[in-house]
Amino acid sequence: MKNTLLLTSAIAVLTATAWAEEYVIGVMSAQSGYLAPYDGPAYAGFQFCIDEMNANGGLNGTLPAKLIVKDTRSDIAVGVQVVQEMIDEGAQFVVSSADADPTIAAAQITAAGMIPTMTFAGTAPVLTQVGSHVFGSYPADNQQATVLAGFARNEGFQNVWLLKSPDSAYTLGGPEYFGEAFTKLGGTVVGESIYSLNQPDFSAIVTTIKGADNQPDLIVTWAWEPDFPAFIRALRGAGVDTQVMGGDVLDTPTVRGLGDVVDGVIHTSGGYPDEGSAYADFISRFEDATGTTPDNNYYVNGCDIAHMIEQAIDSAGSTDPAAVSAAMAEIKDGKGVMSNFTFAGTDRMPLRDVVVARINANGDKEFILRQSADPAILPQP
Amino acid sequence: MDIWLQQFINALSLGGIYAMLALGLAIVFSIARLINFAHGEIMTFGGYGIFLSMALDFPILVTLTVGIAAAVVMALMMERVAFRAMRGASIISLLITSLAVSEILKVLFQNFISPRPVPISFPSLWSGSYQIGEMTIGVAPTVSIIVTISALGGLTFFLRHTATGMSMRAAAEDFEMLRLLGVRANRIIAVSFALSGLLAGIAAVIWTAQRGSVDPMMGTFPVLKAFIATVLGGLGSLNGAVLGGFVVGILEVLAQAFLLDSLAPYRDAIVLSIVIILLLIRPDGLLPARDGTRS
Repeated sequence: MKNTLLLTSAIAVLTATAWAEEYVIGVMSAQSGYLAPYDGPAYAGFQFCIDEMNANGGLNGTLPAKLIVKDTRSDIAVGVQVVQEMIDEGAQFVVSSADADPTIAAAQITAAGMIPTMTFAGTAPVLTQVGSHVFGSYPADNQQATVLAGFARNEGFQNVWLLKSPDSAYTLGGPEYFGEAFTKLGGTVVGESIYSLNQPDFSAIVTTIKGADNQPDLIVTWAWEPDFPAFIRALRGAGVDTQVMGGDVLDTPTVRGLGDVVDGVIHTSGGYPDEGSAYADFISRFEDATGTTPDNNYYVNGCDIAHMIEQAIDSAGSTDPAAVSAAMAEIKDGKGVMSNFTFAGTDRMPLRDVVVARINANGDKEFILRQSADPAILPQP
Repeated sequence: MDIWLQQFINALSLGGIYAMLALGLAIVFSIARLINFAHGEIMTFGGYGIFLSMALDFPILVTLTVGIAAAVVMALMMERVAFRAMRGASIISLLITSLAVSEILKVLFQNFISPRPVPISFPSLWSGSYQIGEMTIGVAPTVSIIVTISALGGLTFFLRHTATGMSMRAAAEDFEMLRLLGVRANRIIAVSFALSGLLAGIAAVIWTAQRGSVDPMMGTFPVLKAFIATVLGGLGSLNGAVLGGFVVGILEVLAQAFLLDSLAPYRDAIVLSIVIILLLIRPDGLLPARDGTRS
């Protein structure tokens, strides 16, 4: 009888311990500054799906997830500090801000414990070079550029002018990858212009393009807001109607709201909510739960990060950081909401489908195609 | 030749905006001895006024009026709420106060409006262009230049030919003497803020028409350039601020247009180096204030 009581008590304690176990995820989320427009939606989508999972018992239905969310104010130094705080508080996984630079800084801190570190939406492929514990989540710039270059060549574009900024890996890398893929496919880069982030005026660049001896039939940029709106207004204002294409950062309501000047602009995107798709269902559930309409892909990509973590833990059969990192790196055709994802065989920037879309004057986004990058063309970081 | 002419128009357009912002900074500094780093947020608030008016489908003239009025109201509120209590404080205390006001307003814009840029879609006519000979000239830069010249001309008339304007010029030279003569300090300072708000509002209209969006940081970078322009022109000098604005704008456009590709990443550094060289040659600025006031 005594032994039975002891055994029962031991089982009760172990069961309680098992229930009390939780997976601690640190989240860098800039509430202000230049990253806020990207971290905010990505975090909202991530938290929404983590909440849904927790309501069903946690990750894989058994492991409740606990979030430690800290504001970085888009400041890399603050980001490093908050990541250290998260580790001190027991973070077993870190989700970092939506850009390469803060992710690389965070990864230096998480390297010692091999704590898996995944960016909300950083797309510069160089970010995973820091260590085997660092992961992208969104289709990388070189994948987007390859798909866009293939589309441009199929449409008959021959001469491209690249507009790039060395101030960030994204604004520099995207156009350069495009140029490389476009050239491999038989196109020609006829000119380049350099701008600074938050550049006050683009009229000088537009005048240079307009006066070039070898005129482009295509202009490609990975410029984001507010630089892209300033550039496209200056371009169209100078009477230049050359086709403009860009990266996924143009997939925003702000760019679509610019009216006539963005009519016909083509950009890449991480996904498109086809009717009846899992993505469309996510939008519907998110709207019902929060009253907010997810108007860009960062929401759903945040949700997909929750799915990536869940599948990595399931494959690892453990929450040990190194085991989770190793398992994440081996995921093949993982199930996502925006699109499926494959880390196996990559340098931890997932292979995912890239969408190409066109903006219309009335602010609508028109789906053009969805495909994955051709590895034979894909530029290497 | 056409390229040079077109780049000259670009330079005038950008320089004009810097000149208006620099003049707004200089007016307030010359009277209140305040370098108002929150001047950019006055411009941003004007931009949000335009955005709100467009969202409410106001006619374009009403929209522009609301934008400019919003900037004037923000400037007056700033003076009344934040700076009047600091009257007589040291220039450093005032500087820190203005930086604090700037940060507070940015956070308010981010949290109560949006951290993202919001689109401003001016009528398509504004993004059109016209031909003069071989040259294609944009409507927006043309409007920018005309509005800038008109605003600066109007301000010059106001300062030279109205009693309030003359009081302000006198205050810029010797504020204490003006007070001894019975002129109300609060009124003069409030008018100086209103004028700086007016100029920031006009700059906001031109800026948003050219850039197509407004975000919480919109005013930050142009005002930094305008501050450089006021120092280059001669801190406290109204004419100097205008000249400094045009010089900075012209240098920026020329550097963007004609620097070798290999030097392009150093463009801002090169422009600022030229400004430093100019200040080494003329330490009090290109057109220093008569009393030689320096920070």
